[in-house]
Amino acid sequence: MSVAEAEAREVRLDAPSGLWSEAWRRLRRNPGAIVGFVLVAAFVTVAIFAPLIATHGPREQNLSLLQGSCCPGPSGSHFFGVDALGRDLFSRVVYGARFSLLIGVVSVAVGLSVGLLIGAVAGYLGGWIDSILMRLMDIMLSIPGLLLAIGIVAALGPGLTQIMIAVGATQVPIFARLLRGSILATREADYVLAARAVGVKRRSILVSHILPNSLSPVIVQGTLALATAIIDVAGLGFLGLGPQDPSTPEWGTMLTDTTRYLQTAPFLALIPGAAIVVSVLGFNLIGDGLREALDPRFRGRA
Amino acid sequence: MLKFVVRRLLLLVPILLGLSILVFVWIRALPGGPAQALLGERATRESVEQIERQYGLNKPIHVQYWSYLSTTARGDLGTSITTRRPVTDELKQRFPATIELTLAAMLFSLAFGIPLGFAAAKRYGTSLDHASLVFSLLGVSIPVFFLAILLKYVFAVKLGLLPTVGRISALLDIEHPTNFYLLDALLAGDLNAFWDVFKHLLLPAVALGSIPLAIIARITRAAVLDVQNEDYVRTARAKGLSPRVVDERHIFRNALLPIVTIIGLQAGLLLSGAVLTETVFAFPGMGTWLVDAIRARNFPVLQGGILFVSLVFVLVNLLVDVLYAVINPRIRVS
Repeated sequence: MSVAEAEAREVRLDAPSGLWSEAWRRLRRNPGAIVGFVLVAAFVTVAIFAPLIATHGPREQNLSLLQGSCCPGPSGSHFFGVDALGRDLFSRVVYGARFSLLIGVVSVAVGLSVGLLIGAVAGYLGGWIDSILMRLMDIMLSIPGLLLAIGIVAALGPGLTQIMIAVGATQVPIFARLLRGSILATREADYVLAARAVGVKRRSILVSHILPNSLSPVIVQGTLALATAIIDVAGLGFLGLGPQDPSTPEWGTMLTDTTRYLQTAPFLALIPGAAIVVSVLGFNLIGDGLREALDPRFRGRA
Repeated sequence: MLKFVVRRLLLLVPILLGLSILVFVWIRALPGGPAQALLGERATRESVEQIERQYGLNKPIHVQYWSYLSTTARGDLGTSITTRRPVTDELKQRFPATIELTLAAMLFSLAFGIPLGFAAAKRYGTSLDHASLVFSLLGVSIPVFFLAILLKYVFAVKLGLLPTVGRISALLDIEHPTNFYLLDALLAGDLNAFWDVFKHLLLPAVALGSIPLAIIARITRAAVLDVQNEDYVRTARAKGLSPRVVDERHIFRNALLPIVTIIGLQAGLLLSGAVLTETVFAFPGMGTWLVDAIRARNFPVLQGGILFVSLVFVLVNLLVDVLYAVINPRIRVS
């Protein structure tokens, strides 16, 4: 190896890798995050391939199974047992993954897009627009999350779409504040000043310089918000505000009446509940891993 | 210090005004409009019109807002559609139940969360530390109503140790001057009833308090780890102070700041969680009241309840801010 080659190699080693590739490398070395990825991957797989995995239809009733008492427990033909209406619990939990995933993603998408818009506008424009928008967010935050969601559902009426909007709305102020703070910090950065000095348009400064650099806390929060959204939607479902067609296999709704059967059929509550915990745990693990991986304070220590 | 409190109080005014506007707009956004919402779905055309005249719903919007604001400020929250009783009267019964539950839960989470987080940080990297991390991760991943169902299943149904529903056994009858049942039992000098109420409160409080416990333990651990390596801690150790004194005066006091902040955030979580916990244990507080109101489309109750809980939440946050200022020398002195 010539001296030049050795130097070249050294230079390559010293070259700073990008934020994202480094974050990805650190994420792969975090055992918690790996477990999270496995759980979420399993969750998504079940959601996508629900019709192939489920042994019965999620709404298919077989009342003859209920002869004697409620409810027959796990068996060879019904892995998780049968619910109070003679439906196969395993298939319902499997299809429930679809609803939970859909609900989580849609409500976070609602909260994220509206919150980001408000946060970006407030943070970048500043002045009185900023003040008004942020006071509005303060007011929304002054109502405890679930109660705000309940109020929105009361106005819109119960239902799946409505609870997704309601849960999304409770997340708007969180994202708006987060992005605004992050933008305020980036706005004064030298590269933004430079872009402004050479006359780049305001909108493209926001879109191509400020936003990408303010996004990492938002990504972390977004992952954690998926976890909260699944929990919150399940909570609203549990209260009976979810899908009005009670045969919809939504995990929270499935738990609603199970407290009555705790004596005879505790699995009716335990299994859907465990499904919620596992999927939420997955998103929380990834979120925590991302936070550590993207935190500049940890950068450089692989 | 006084200036700080006054400034914080002044900041409260726009928040409360905004909150009232939000609720005001919300009532007008309800299906069928406010008169229909007040009377229920089966109201006749005439009675709707009568209510609209009576409440001035045909007047200009700013006049309506002003009258809404003044009636609410006088403590008139309307009449419940289902019971025909003033909302304020029902609130007086329901609210103490929720506060009793929330305070018990908060007490539980602080009493166990802070020592757990402290111990985990002190034994950083040991199995205790790892166990506390796993525990707090599970804590933020389990829905409160599922935890409540689990606890109910294990302790009430399986082991039969504790009652499953309500605040007090039906056979016990005590006076309820305050509606805080623990306090009422003490006032009546009835220890039997006190023990009964306590047993009813235990499971809901543990269920509601476990998630804040996990979060508080996590924050305490992080805060103690942060403070532990500060120069002033090293100085205190170097000058020969006993580990106990260093723990108490140097580490714990400074770690308290983030802990107090997080307690304020937990208040919202507790008030939200109470709605779900109460439903599982048929606990007659604000939560079951509001959920019943939604099902019955009982809008006066919903409006009054949400407004009131939010008010309490805002006040709790104010209290936390002041507490924060009291323990933070940087704010206290300036």
